[in-house]
Amino acid sequence: MQQLRLNFEKSTWIYLVIASLLFILPFMMSGRSIMFLVMQIFIFGIFAMSYDLLLGYTGIVSFGHAMFFGIGAYSIAIVFDLNEPTMFYLIVGVLIAVLLAAIVSFVVGILTLRLKSHFYAMLTLALAGLFLVAAEKWRSVTGGADGFTISVPEFFKDRTNLYLVCLIVMVLFFFGLRRFTNSPLGRVLMAIRENEGRTESLGYKVLHYKVIVSVVSGVVASIAGVLYMLSLRFVDTSVFATEVTLDALLMTIIGGVGTLVGPIIGAALIEFAHHWLSDLSDVHWIFERWIILFGAVYILAVIFFPKGIAGTIQELYRKKRKKRQDNKEIKSEDKMAG
Amino acid sequence: MDLFFSLTVNGLATGMLIFLLAAGLTLIFGLMDVLNFAHGGLFVWGAFSGVWVYDLTGSFWLGIVGAIITGLILGAIIEYLIIRPVYGNHVQQILITLGLMLVLSELIKVVFGPDQKAATAPEYLQGSFMVGDVILIKYRLFIILVGFIVFGVTSLILKRTRIGLIVRAGVMNKEMVQTLGVNIRLVFMLVFMVGAAMAALGGMLMAPYSGVIYAEMGLEFGILAFIVVVIGGMGSFSGSLLAAILVGLAQAYMAYYVPALSLAVNMLLMTVVLIFRPQGLFRVGVK
Amino acid sequence: MMSTLLELNNVQTHINQFHILHDISFEVPKGEVTVLLGRNGAGKTTTLRSIMGLNPPTEGTVSYKGQVINKWKPHMIARNGIGYVPEDQGIFGDLTVGENIRVAMQKEDETTTEHLEWVLELFPDLKKFWKKPGGQLSGGQKQMLAIARAYVNDNELLLIDEPSKGLAPIIVEKVMESILYMKEKTTIVLVEQNFMMASKIGDSFHIIDDGKTVHNGMMSDLKQDKNLMKKYLGIA
Repeated sequence: MQQLRLNFEKSTWIYLVIASLLFILPFMMSGRSIMFLVMQIFIFGIFAMSYDLLLGYTGIVSFGHAMFFGIGAYSIAIVFDLNEPTMFYLIVGVLIAVLLAAIVSFVVGILTLRLKSHFYAMLTLALAGLFLVAAEKWRSVTGGADGFTISVPEFFKDRTNLYLVCLIVMVLFFFGLRRFTNSPLGRVLMAIRENEGRTESLGYKVLHYKVIVSVVSGVVASIAGVLYMLSLRFVDTSVFATEVTLDALLMTIIGGVGTLVGPIIGAALIEFAHHWLSDLSDVHWIFERWIILFGAVYILAVIFFPKGIAGTIQELYRKKRKKRQDNKEIKSEDKMAG
Repeated sequence: MDLFFSLTVNGLATGMLIFLLAAGLTLIFGLMDVLNFAHGGLFVWGAFSGVWVYDLTGSFWLGIVGAIITGLILGAIIEYLIIRPVYGNHVQQILITLGLMLVLSELIKVVFGPDQKAATAPEYLQGSFMVGDVILIKYRLFIILVGFIVFGVTSLILKRTRIGLIVRAGVMNKEMVQTLGVNIRLVFMLVFMVGAAMAALGGMLMAPYSGVIYAEMGLEFGILAFIVVVIGGMGSFSGSLLAAILVGLAQAYMAYYVPALSLAVNMLLMTVVLIFRPQGLFRVGVK
Repeated sequence: MMSTLLELNNVQTHINQFHILHDISFEVPKGEVTVLLGRNGAGKTTTLRSIMGLNPPTEGTVSYKGQVINKWKPHMIARNGIGYVPEDQGIFGDLTVGENIRVAMQKEDETTTEHLEWVLELFPDLKKFWKKPGGQLSGGQKQMLAIARAYVNDNELLLIDEPSKGLAPIIVEKVMESILYMKEKTTIVLVEQNFMMASKIGDSFHIIDDGKTVHNGMMSDLKQDKNLMKKYLGIA
């Protein structure tokens, strides 16, 4: 027990060191595009963590997670567009985004989470499509498929400020969600993932817990959407696209489901890959079709690498520690025998 | 009145296309417990490969045959390589078939080029009849006819043949069928191939109907087919025909009267079904 | 000397992470009824499912007519002459009685037709309700249909899981009678909680406790051995 606690703190320290390194990064280097890229990694890291909460911790598959991302991006953009881009309206926008995301995820959850897993996947896929169509058709507010640019509060015009905000939000969500998943409630969620029927028969209202997760995940995703809009100062219907959901899926699966840190690693990998592959498309047109590559990697990962990077590392680490412990036991037994 | 009538014909034709997609989906789901999110990809592949053969040979019928063969081959490959390793694991299945869907759609652009393709019906299926003052467009009637033929033949096979009997039994209890000496894996593959071929046929028929085909239509039609499968009841073959017609009609009327709501109305329909009858509207008597 | 039709040797079975069968070993002599006894959850049903290949054994061997079959797929095992009647009977509810039987008929040769005729004579109800959906039959009729279906192929061994479960005593009597008839034609492994029935039909018995075969003998001896019955079966 003692060791477990120590270990927990050790990993926390590692995360904190990495976070503080990232904090000083903007003061060390000046490349704008690389800073923007790292910022995107933070934003998608948040988004992918929210996805991990569903897929990794509860075993819920969503194919329309982009809609929460889009809800966040559009809420804040529309609020700024209709009013002044001030800090006050930022708060208003965030509140609206969170509220909308909560309502939508609640309704979807109540409707489908009592059914088999593919119903949730299907309804979210269809709903996200509906949001996409709505954003295209409701031109007077959304500007249709072309989207619209927006000006943001002075504070966020400074890249470094925005970078730090994204980083802080990600770190807060990371530790917050880790607390959440380590809490008794989080344990119930994992029990649901392992064996839903058994959890139900132990007296837990499975639906209840699943809906909570659905709502938390939707809200976190909408915050990622808000940050995304702030970083681009532009929004169009692509935030509702299936590709956005697919990105979250890829990041979570490749990074490692059910680990929280995995999705961030995944986000880094995928964002870098996006970046490089779009450069490479000048070399050969096949790189323009990077979805094929991602898709193939993704399919192979689902079949052969279901634990992802973080999951595999954690497992190796656990095995090593167990071995060490076993060795210790053998040694002490030897001593006793001697 | 004639407007309403032609909307109805429109809706029926759209419904039949969706049915061709949904029929395979529902059979595959019923028998194999696999919800194939890549099914729309097979629809697009049918459309592009069929139109390619059609352009090459000038024969619409050869185009149809080409689409069906593409469906059968893709179905076999997908079942064997992608679906088989993850049987029994729902989450993995859902994840993997969605990945496949995107790969299939993107591969279309690699193989047939990124642009949309135009397609027209052969001459003898162009034009229309006049019945009274109602205009009946030939090609739409043709689609409706093909839809009913596919439904009829498949129903007959399901009812009258041994393989049909095995499929129906398998939908109810896979394990029992195996212990009666049936190699369920072979049946799975066959059903998957036939389902894929139906979807491919639907795609090919779709091409001259809409006049243009593009890679993204797979996902669009795929979503409609899912709605149909939910409304009709997962695993119910005749349910999928009725639900497809319902969705097709709703789509057609709404597209004319309230275009902004045409997708919404089907979503709404599905939501209502999910709340009040999650087993589907037309599913009766199955435990 | 009686020949052995089926032999289980140190069979162990895992279902997911659960170790259900630890050591199941027994022989089934040709032409006899072998009864598997034991408390609920002892592993009787899993034993039958392991023989059938539905929960393939992770260790040990199952041999049938001298061939090791524990790596075979269920349909191959079935085709080699083992019929299975599961606990829930596995009737296809939407299919008619006739169709239920037709699914099982792998061939339509003379032997199969003969078997069919013989079974229909034994269970005239099935003939009467030939066109009725299987789901609408009564519990007893379902049981008869399940047994008929398992026998209609030229099966030399039937695995029957708790045929008396959930049936009224008078129906149990009838089912029992029919199994006694079947006994003349084929070898049977029977899982049965109803001791009266087990003792009337069974020749030899094996007691399974906590996933292990712990005791065996002749059925006629078991009836005398009150201690054994109390210890493993909870009947005094």
